[in-house]
Amino acid sequence: MVSDQQIARERIAILHEKAEQAARDGEQDRAREYVRRARRIAERNRLSLPAEFDRFTCDACDAYLLPGRNARVRTRGGHVVVTCDCGGQARYRYR
Amino acid sequence: MTRTPETLARHELVGLDVRVTVASDPDLLDIEGEVVMETTNTLHVERADRAWQVPKAAATFAFTLPSGETVRIEGERLVARPARRTEHTGDSTWR
Repeated sequence: MVSDQQIARERIAILHEKAEQAARDGEQDRAREYVRRARRIAERNRLSLPAEFDRFTCDACDAYLLPGRNARVRTRGGHVVVTCDCGGQARYRYR
Repeated sequence: MTRTPETLARHELVGLDVRVTVASDPDLLDIEGEVVMETTNTLHVERADRAWQVPKAAATFAFTLPSGETVRIEGERLVARPARRTEHTGDSTWR
Protein backbone atom coordinates (compact mmCIF):
# COMPACT_ATOMS: atom_id res chain seq x y z
CA MET A 1 0.00 0.00 0.00
CA VAL A 2 1.15 3.52 -0.72
CA SER A 3 2.15 5.16 2.54
CA ASP A 4 0.37 8.14 4.03
CA GLN A 5 3.53 10.22 3.78
CA GLN A 6 3.94 9.47 0.10
CA ILE A 7 0.36 10.53 -0.59
CA ALA A 8 0.78 13.59 1.61
CA ARG A 9 3.85 14.62 -0.37
CA GLU A 10 1.93 14.30 -3.61
CA ARG A 11 -1.04 16.22 -2.21
CA ILE A 12 1.26 19.08 -1.23
CA ALA A 13 2.73 19.15 -4.74
CA ILE A 14 -0.75 19.21 -6.30
CA LEU A 15 -1.96 21.96 -4.00
CA HIS A 16 1.18 23.97 -4.68
CA GLU A 17 0.51 23.82 -8.40
CA LYS A 18 -3.18 24.66 -7.91
CA ALA A 19 -2.35 27.57 -5.63
CA GLU A 20 -0.04 29.07 -8.21
CA GLN A 21 -2.65 28.64 -10.92
CA ALA A 22 -5.37 30.24 -8.79
CA ALA A 23 -3.09 33.14 -7.88
CA ARG A 24 -2.27 33.76 -11.54
CA ASP A 25 -5.98 33.75 -12.34
CA GLY A 26 -6.49 36.44 -9.72
CA GLU A 27 -8.25 34.12 -7.25
CA GLN A 28 -6.09 35.07 -4.29
CA ASP A 29 -8.51 33.79 -1.66
CA ARG A 30 -8.74 30.38 -3.24
CA ALA A 31 -4.94 30.24 -3.56
CA ARG A 32 -4.74 31.05 0.13
CA GLU A 33 -7.04 28.14 1.00
CA TYR A 34 -4.87 25.77 -1.03
CA VAL A 35 -1.72 27.03 0.70
CA ARG A 36 -3.32 26.53 4.12
CA ARG A 37 -4.48 23.05 3.18
CA ALA A 38 -0.96 22.11 2.01
CA ARG A 39 0.54 23.46 5.25
CA ARG A 40 -1.95 21.50 7.31
CA ILE A 41 -1.18 18.27 5.45
CA ALA A 42 2.56 18.77 5.97
CA GLU A 43 1.95 19.43 9.65
CA ARG A 44 -0.16 16.32 10.16
CA ASN A 45 2.30 14.06 8.37
CA ARG A 46 5.44 15.63 9.82
CA LEU A 47 6.82 16.60 6.44
CA SER A 48 8.82 19.72 5.68
CA LEU A 49 7.48 21.84 2.87
CA PRO A 50 9.46 22.08 -0.37
CA ALA A 51 11.84 25.07 -0.44
CA GLU A 52 9.99 26.54 -3.40
CA PHE A 53 6.68 26.37 -1.57
CA ASP A 54 8.28 28.12 1.40
CA ARG A 55 9.64 30.95 -0.69
CA PHE A 56 6.54 31.61 -2.71
CA THR A 57 4.05 31.72 0.14
CA CYS A 58 3.61 34.33 2.85
CA ASP A 59 4.13 33.06 6.39
CA ALA A 60 1.93 35.80 7.79
CA CYS A 61 -1.17 35.63 5.58
CA ASP A 62 -0.70 32.38 3.60
CA ALA A 63 -0.97 34.20 0.26
CA TYR A 64 0.69 32.62 -2.76
CA LEU A 65 3.33 35.15 -3.80
CA LEU A 66 3.84 36.25 -7.36
CA PRO A 67 6.80 38.63 -7.49
CA GLY A 68 5.67 41.83 -9.17
CA ARG A 69 1.97 41.15 -8.52
CA ASN A 70 1.62 40.80 -4.77
CA ALA A 71 5.19 40.51 -3.60
CA ARG A 72 8.29 42.66 -3.74
CA VAL A 73 11.67 40.96 -3.99
CA ARG A 74 14.77 43.01 -3.10
CA THR A 75 18.35 42.08 -2.41
CA ARG A 76 19.84 43.64 0.65
CA GLY A 77 23.52 42.97 1.36
CA GLY A 78 23.75 39.21 1.47
CA HIS A 79 20.09 38.38 1.73
CA VAL A 80 16.91 38.58 -0.28
CA VAL A 81 13.90 40.25 1.30
CA VAL A 82 10.48 39.19 0.06
CA THR A 83 7.70 41.55 1.11
CA CYS A 84 4.09 40.47 0.78
CA ASP A 85 1.27 42.96 0.15
CA CYS A 86 0.12 42.28 3.71
CA GLY A 87 3.40 43.67 5.03
CA GLY A 88 4.87 40.34 6.02
CA GLN A 89 8.55 39.92 5.23
CA ALA A 90 10.73 36.90 4.70
CA ARG A 91 14.48 36.79 4.25
CA TYR A 92 16.87 34.28 2.87
CA ARG A 93 20.57 34.40 2.20
CA TYR A 94 22.33 34.40 -1.10
CA ARG A 95 25.94 34.57 -2.10
CA MET B 1 1.15 12.72 -9.92
CA THR B 2 0.17 9.27 -8.96
CA ARG B 3 -3.47 9.59 -8.22
CA THR B 4 -4.57 6.02 -8.83
CA PRO B 5 -7.96 4.39 -8.36
CA GLU B 6 -6.62 2.71 -5.21
CA THR B 7 -5.30 5.87 -3.58
CA LEU B 8 -7.89 8.37 -4.75
CA ALA B 9 -10.09 8.18 -1.66
CA ARG B 10 -7.07 9.25 0.38
CA HIS B 11 -5.66 11.62 -2.21
CA GLU B 12 -6.18 15.23 -3.23
CA LEU B 13 -9.49 15.78 -5.03
CA VAL B 14 -8.99 19.44 -5.89
CA GLY B 15 -8.48 19.90 -9.61
CA LEU B 16 -10.20 16.71 -10.73
CA ASP B 17 -13.21 16.62 -12.99
CA VAL B 18 -16.15 15.02 -11.30
CA ARG B 19 -19.68 13.88 -12.08
CA VAL B 20 -22.37 12.95 -9.61
CA THR B 21 -23.68 9.56 -10.70
CA VAL B 22 -25.98 8.61 -7.82
CA ALA B 23 -27.63 10.99 -5.37
CA SER B 24 -30.49 10.87 -2.92
CA ASP B 25 -31.41 14.38 -4.04
CA PRO B 26 -32.38 14.46 -7.72
CA ASP B 27 -31.14 18.05 -8.03
CA LEU B 28 -27.60 16.85 -7.40
CA LEU B 29 -27.69 14.22 -10.10
CA ASP B 30 -25.43 14.74 -13.11
CA ILE B 31 -23.65 17.73 -11.66
CA GLU B 32 -20.46 17.95 -13.64
CA GLY B 33 -17.42 20.14 -13.22
CA GLU B 34 -14.09 20.61 -11.53
CA VAL B 35 -13.57 20.16 -7.81
CA VAL B 36 -12.30 23.49 -6.49
CA MET B 37 -12.63 23.11 -2.73
CA GLU B 38 -13.34 20.49 -0.13
CA THR B 39 -14.78 20.65 3.36
CA THR B 40 -15.51 17.87 5.82
CA ASN B 41 -18.96 17.21 4.43
CA THR B 42 -19.03 18.83 1.00
CA LEU B 43 -17.25 19.20 -2.30
CA HIS B 44 -17.35 22.51 -4.16
CA VAL B 45 -17.79 21.81 -7.84
CA GLU B 46 -17.45 24.52 -10.44
CA ARG B 47 -18.07 24.90 -14.12
CA ALA B 48 -17.69 27.99 -16.30
CA ASP B 49 -21.31 29.02 -15.77
CA ARG B 50 -22.21 27.53 -12.37
CA ALA B 51 -20.95 26.43 -8.99
CA TRP B 52 -22.36 23.84 -6.62
CA GLN B 53 -21.70 22.66 -3.11
CA VAL B 54 -22.40 18.94 -3.07
CA PRO B 55 -22.78 17.02 0.21
CA LYS B 56 -20.40 14.06 0.10
CA ALA B 57 -22.54 11.70 2.12
CA ALA B 58 -25.55 11.97 -0.18
CA ALA B 59 -23.87 11.17 -3.47
CA THR B 60 -21.67 8.84 -5.44
CA PHE B 61 -18.99 10.50 -7.52
CA ALA B 62 -17.19 9.58 -10.71
CA PHE B 63 -13.80 11.27 -10.78
CA THR B 64 -11.78 11.54 -13.96
CA LEU B 65 -8.06 11.14 -13.28
CA PRO B 66 -5.50 13.09 -15.31
CA SER B 67 -4.65 9.76 -16.97
CA GLY B 68 -8.20 9.59 -18.30
CA GLU B 69 -9.37 6.82 -16.01
CA THR B 70 -12.75 7.17 -14.32
CA VAL B 71 -13.05 6.23 -10.67
CA ARG B 72 -16.35 5.79 -8.86
CA ILE B 73 -16.32 6.50 -5.14
CA GLU B 74 -19.21 6.49 -2.70
CA GLY B 75 -19.28 9.88 -1.08
CA GLU B 76 -19.54 8.37 2.37
CA ARG B 77 -15.96 7.16 2.10
CA LEU B 78 -14.86 10.75 1.61
CA VAL B 79 -16.55 12.20 4.68
CA ALA B 80 -13.58 13.42 6.75
CA ARG B 81 -11.65 16.57 7.32
CA PRO B 82 -9.66 17.11 4.12
CA ALA B 83 -6.18 16.89 5.63
CA ARG B 84 -7.18 13.93 7.78
CA ARG B 85 -8.58 11.90 4.88
CA THR B 86 -5.12 10.72 3.84
CA GLU B 87 -4.85 8.84 7.12
CA HIS B 88 -8.11 6.95 6.61
CA THR B 89 -6.97 3.71 5.09
CA GLY B 90 -10.42 2.24 5.38
CA ASP B 91 -9.24 -1.10 6.74
CA SER B 92 -9.98 -0.42 10.40
CA THR B 93 -13.13 -1.96 11.83
CA TRP B 94 -13.11 0.62 14.60
CA ARG B 95 -13.78 3.80 12.68
